[in-house]
Amino acid sequence: MTEDSAKNENSGGQRAHGGHLVAARVAIISLLVCGVIFPLVVTGVAQVLLPYQANGEPVSAGGRIVGSNLIAQPFTGPIFFHPRNDSASGVDPDITLQDALAQVPRIHSATGIPVSSLDDLIQRNVVAISWISGEPYVNVLNLNLQLIRDFPSVYAGYP
Amino acid sequence: MIDAGQIIAIISILATALILGRLLSPYLVRVFTSAPQRLDRLLNPVEGWIYRLGGIDPARRMGWREYFISAFSINIIQMAIAFLILLFQGVLPLNPQGFPGLRWDLALNTVVSFATNTNLQHYAGETTLSYFSQMTAIQFLQFTSAATGISVAVAMVRGFVSGRKDIGNFYVDFVRTITRVLIPLCFIASLILVAMGVPQTLDGYMTVKTVEGATRSILVGPVASLVSIMQIGTNGGGYYGANSAYPFQNPTPLSNIFELLLMMLIPTALIFVYGRLINDRKESRPILIGAYGIYALDIAIAFIPAVALSAGMETRIGGFFSTLWTVTTTAMTTGSVNSSLSSMNPLAILAGFVGMLVQASPGGDGVGLMYMLMYIIMTVFLVGLMSGRTPEYLGMKITGGDVKLVMAAFLVHPVIILVPTVLSYATGAATSVITSSGAIGFTQILYEFTSAAANNGSDFLGSLANTPFFNISTAVVMFVGRYAPMAILLALGGSMLSRRRTSETALKTSSVAFSTVLIASIMLLVVLTFFPVLALGPILSFLQGHTAAGVG
Repeated sequence: MTEDSAKNENSGGQRAHGGHLVAARVAIISLLVCGVIFPLVVTGVAQVLLPYQANGEPVSAGGRIVGSNLIAQPFTGPIFFHPRNDSASGVDPDITLQDALAQVPRIHSATGIPVSSLDDLIQRNVVAISWISGEPYVNVLNLNLQLIRDFPSVYAGYP
Repeated sequence: MIDAGQIIAIISILATALILGRLLSPYLVRVFTSAPQRLDRLLNPVEGWIYRLGGIDPARRMGWREYFISAFSINIIQMAIAFLILLFQGVLPLNPQGFPGLRWDLALNTVVSFATNTNLQHYAGETTLSYFSQMTAIQFLQFTSAATGISVAVAMVRGFVSGRKDIGNFYVDFVRTITRVLIPLCFIASLILVAMGVPQTLDGYMTVKTVEGATRSILVGPVASLVSIMQIGTNGGGYYGANSAYPFQNPTPLSNIFELLLMMLIPTALIFVYGRLINDRKESRPILIGAYGIYALDIAIAFIPAVALSAGMETRIGGFFSTLWTVTTTAMTTGSVNSSLSSMNPLAILAGFVGMLVQASPGGDGVGLMYMLMYIIMTVFLVGLMSGRTPEYLGMKITGGDVKLVMAAFLVHPVIILVPTVLSYATGAATSVITSSGAIGFTQILYEFTSAAANNGSDFLGSLANTPFFNISTAVVMFVGRYAPMAILLALGGSMLSRRRTSETALKTSSVAFSTVLIASIMLLVVLTFFPVLALGPILSFLQGHTAAGVG
């Protein structure tokens, strides 16, 4: 038997009997490469290079983690800015500038903080990106934490 | 109406996608022709090792039947593996939240959905799937389905290459697409996404005491590695139920644009790859004009009404980018969403339908190109009929057999969309899941099956459709919608191998005139086939909304 005919026979055998075996073996290899090795390597590299973002951008205040920059948390008291309660994800961390300004009278009457101070606080916290049609917006958690820092006597007991 | 700034934004994004696609294309050509590459020193040994372990003979050449059967069998085995993982995730590792295994019909729907590049999700990932399932069922199938689509498309194109005798080796294409295209691109994209704020951790959900003292979970996980392949692979299935509206999947206005470009990258690059592979770069032109022409038409339809930030949209994304995303994700048949579809104007939904029904503007990774070649053959035939000349493409005679294959591939779609839509009403299954009656409810059901058939994956219903009827019916639709046209179009490519060519062609398919006729025939065919149901769905709801609200 020549080398060529042996090779042909061999590959003919792969088609007739081993075709599905090859598929099964390649399927398992692809699982290990794409489903295990890839996400683990990305996790390792991301944890070393970008630990803050890779762990969900935690926000600290008063010595503890109070939430994430990117995820809305409920604020129910009248002394705080409130997030939206409709939105696609349900955890939209932002409100529009207009929404924030509309909440000023409530916070003013609950806390006595002057309207002008509140307006000024909002303006200082506007995310300065007005993408094409996007409206200017503020991050509610950061806005409230700034409020606590600026008026510690009003917000005593909060982090 | 749309303003000048927004038009500039659209043009910039489309132009960037075209430039990136063009830049990537020579690299892809070297991958698919096994030409020497800089990465060879690193990857040749890795691939050699995979070939040995897998029992692959890389020198082996396949005909279209063997190529398709290889792709089909590996996909079935991958589905079976992922099915078992979902069923038994309760006892598998990396399950810090302790989620139980999935019900069999939801597990079946999910694996068919991801293996077919659809990514219809009848569950919310963050409350259903363990980290292990997200990695080894979801991400795994997102990689392999994209690699399958790209490989099969390249194989079909090889049928059009003058002088070729075979369409390649599936396993070699599949492995090289993963090692040289998807993994490197997704690795870079993952790290950019993490830098923008997408989490990537195996630690369990972070429990925090909020400012007001409540206890909350921050739902982190291995998200970035999944988001990269879900967009680059035109898969669309999200880590979270809210998909790309969830801040951890799409944290900033910039990440929103970045992810739009990721989903456009490979479908666009493959258009340029086509002309290079067949050694006639100008033949990419009608595909480019056809695909981007229809995409632009969809954008125009979607932006007829005014768009503003509304309930169901994220503040950082806004009305404009929510609408542009909805059009893009259907034009690329990705299916990720960055807002609630219910918040969209019916005309944006209509544009979405057009994207999913055409499937080639430019369509999903690989399959979009296959559908466009199908439309080109069909248009060449129509032009031949009108002019009384023998239809020819690239100098090859288009035969009656070719046209039969093209029509068979085209007709799969209406059957698997319209029949189950009617069935779901006839059996009463529809009424239990829709959130509104009349045109809006009909749109939700029609969209569900259109999205399943087009292997898109965006939907109105989400977990509402987690019923045995919808899990099983959409699984069948996704399965047939993926593999039937794939087999038929691969057969078409195979039948082109070593076909006689004439040097003089009567019809210049690279001309702008032909591209125009191409767009017209695609739109005509799709509109004629689906107009009645579109009229009952999004068009009627637009007209009703128009009357009720008094604004356009």
